[in-house]
Amino acid sequence: MSVVLDAFTVITVTAGLVFFLAGTVGLLRFPDALTRLHALTKADNLGLGLIVLGLLPQCPDITSALKLIAIWVLVQFAGASASQLIAQFVRRNEPGP
Amino acid sequence: MGGGAMAVQTRSGAIGAIASAAGLRRFVFYFGFWFILIGVSPINLIVGLPTAAVAVWVSLRLLPPGDRSLSYGALAGLLLRLPWQSLVAGIDIARRAFDPRMPLRTGFVVFPSRLPPGSARDAFCALMSLQPGTLPVGAGEKDDILFHCLDTAQPVAAQLAAEEARFLRILGQEPRNA
Repeated sequence: MSVVLDAFTVITVTAGLVFFLAGTVGLLRFPDALTRLHALTKADNLGLGLIVLGLLPQCPDITSALKLIAIWVLVQFAGASASQLIAQFVRRNEPGP
Repeated sequence: MGGGAMAVQTRSGAIGAIASAAGLRRFVFYFGFWFILIGVSPINLIVGLPTAAVAVWVSLRLLPPGDRSLSYGALAGLLLRLPWQSLVAGIDIARRAFDPRMPLRTGFVVFPSRLPPGSARDAFCALMSLQPGTLPVGAGEKDDILFHCLDTAQPVAAQLAAEEARFLRILGQEPRNA
């Protein structure tokens, strides 16, 4: 059973790292600030989600598991608000449509 | 609205507001959150209990208890869809970032929102910033919300309207035909 859980952890955390890499590649390749914000918020949110999911079976107790989930929730909130604030700032300084 | 906001203007009123039914519910929630983050030992309680009380006080000022009748079924449905949408959004970004041709057709979409400006609209914008391909960049004219999109060939406005209809159901408002 623990082998299955360990394999689940390895696969899920690795997938999470792939999405963090995708977010970074997007940050470097995408053409402008707003498009880069998409890459950072969405790919990193998923990367963190997968890493949290992968680490849950390794938690020694329920409080640690809840703490990991709380970190994910707080980062979702922070990402959702910070990306909008940066987007508004970018739009004020580079008038678009 | 009103009553809760007025009650926290004075110090004695603040204690009264925290001791109200809504305040106590929030206190249990915040203290539970503190328990998860920090753990309960007597020395931690010295900080944790006042922190939870201050959190209730701030939350009552920012979001006074009102006669909101949230549809918890619709809210649960939305929360269950969030991880799935995070997956779709992340895969969408990864596909575009890793593709050598980097398929992007970025642009802006003006979305006429039926949500009133305020916390409901802010919550909707926060949710939409987690959706695949859309990023709210601010208010447009009147009730418009301006979205930056990764792929303007997608039916973005229709997707936004569908999400807004779901959001209105959480608030207990049946979406009207626009």
